Amino acid sequence: MKATFLTPVISSTPIVGEDPVIMVRQKDSSIRVFLNQCRHRGMKLSRDDAGNAKAFVCTYHGWAHDISGQLIDVPFEEQGHCNGLDKSEWSPLQARVDTYRGLVFANWDEEAPSLDDYLSDSKPYIDVMFNRSEAGTEAIGGIQKWVIPTNWKFAAEQFCSDMYHAGTMSHLSGIEAGLPTDVNLNNVDIPTNGNQFRAKWGGHGTGYYVDQPGLLAAIMGPKITDYVTASPRAEAASKRLGSDLFGQRMMGQHMTIFPTCSFLPGVNTIRTWHPRGPGEIEVWAFIVVESDAPDHIKEEFRKQNIRTFSAGGVFEQDDGENWIEVQKVFKGNKARKTKLNVQMGLGQSTTEHPDFPGRISGVYSEDAARGLYQHWLRMMTEPSWDTLKPSS
Amino acid sequence: MAFHIDINQLVSTPAPDLALQHEVEQFYYREALLLDNIQYEDWFGLLDDDIHYFMPIRRNRMQRYGKVRSTDVPEYTSEHEFAHFDEDKATMTGRLRKLLSDYSWSENPASRTRHTVSNVIITPGEENGTLNVCSSFIVYRNRLETQVDLFAGERHDILRRADNTLGFKIAKRTILIDQSTILSNNLSIFF
Repeated sequence: MKATFLTPVISSTPIVGEDPVIMVRQKDSSIRVFLNQCRHRGMKLSRDDAGNAKAFVCTYHGWAHDISGQLIDVPFEEQGHCNGLDKSEWSPLQARVDTYRGLVFANWDEEAPSLDDYLSDSKPYIDVMFNRSEAGTEAIGGIQKWVIPTNWKFAAEQFCSDMYHAGTMSHLSGIEAGLPTDVNLNNVDIPTNGNQFRAKWGGHGTGYYVDQPGLLAAIMGPKITDYVTASPRAEAASKRLGSDLFGQRMMGQHMTIFPTCSFLPGVNTIRTWHPRGPGEIEVWAFIVVESDAPDHIKEEFRKQNIRTFSAGGVFEQDDGENWIEVQKVFKGNKARKTKLNVQMGLGQSTTEHPDFPGRISGVYSEDAARGLYQHWLRMMTEPSWDTLKPSS
Repeated sequence: MAFHIDINQLVSTPAPDLALQHEVEQFYYREALLLDNIQYEDWFGLLDDDIHYFMPIRRNRMQRYGKVRSTDVPEYTSEHEFAHFDEDKATMTGRLRKLLSDYSWSENPASRTRHTVSNVIITPGEENGTLNVCSSFIVYRNRLETQVDLFAGERHDILRRADNTLGFKIAKRTILIDQSTILSNNLSIFF
């Protein structure tokens, strides 16, 4: 009897929390997620980052749990509790679990919408990264974790809605780091053709260039750019996704599933911005590849992610710099109360775009950011799911 | 495949003669001086053409996965997994180019760092003219107004004799950082 587990889970839940959980694959391949907390004195049931387990035994007093998270044995139960302990009442809290394209989502709220409803009309845009191949996706081993003293919304918003920072100032040196030695920034055309999508409900958003590989190539180099836009496997992805736009021609895509799950299709980094209070996040980043991609392609994804989108990445280094400085500025009384501009693309979205479904604006837009902040505000203020839930 | 560092061999190999120990330590002190004074180009000049600059991710694992702390157990990500750094000359050159640009915001203004290197243990290299050197480091970083980061760890270098001012080039550097979750907003400095 074996189980693999990760603790805490890479989770994205509509409730922003800091709860550690254990994610366990069961014998029937289903996945369970439960709170990493013994119901006796609250000790963690696992302190391993990953591995195999036959049981989870609390190291405090030895309460033992099976891999589904059920309390099965209590030391000296007969003597200490005189058989008055109902073990079925004292198992760790179980989360609702659902998956989409291999992504595992956990949620504590029984009243919350189903994952299917929750993802709203954003699924075609998720599929660009996670549904390219019949074989599905797999993660390259290792999760990189680091902390940034900033509010989670800065990171979530940027991946949701901010192509603007990549095309203007933030990542100029990151772009330069990947240029051939005889090319300088003056020779680089920053793309302008593309779109942004704002989910009908839920605060999710994405943006992408169309037919302009400039930014993707600057991040991932020619080999991956060719692989995801022009290779026979990219053509196969187009066939699978029913459109060469979704399979090959959307480039340099950024995306956030509200609140804290973000990824970059084509770069293939995925991360959760775990909030640690209002002023800090713990980033958990890993790399996803198609399970049946050639080994040399998986290796290239690995190397380019380490080079670009990681704590030491030539792109990501500069993101943290912006977010922590903004967070510091907001400590000021006046700074916190000063109105900021988030009007880009206002009134310019359409739901009748000829190529892309949903609410669409230009690639340099803040429509999805407005969607994220509006949804966050509703999450904070609506009294219940009755008024908050997506309309059917 | 996990990368392999043999701690028992390091412990049991006799210390080299004083002159060599002195020379290697002086190399490290001067290398640290270059890094701490943001002499990036001079520091990059110490990296040999076949440089492999590698920092695996470190994980919390129960001891049942391996009896002693070792690079053979899955505490460290292996060579084909995610890492903090896994660089060759070309990607290091790109990193240099970033640092030398006017818009490398994570190091402009530059961090104030102090690289302290000690516990230098030298063993013979496999290739002629090379040394395997294990050392400990503590890197203090202060940045902007109040940011303070402290990094500690172990470096396993292959140093190669070179006809340069400092007498060596770095052919390989494996950095075992003493953090599982990196307690800093980025890794924009070198170790």
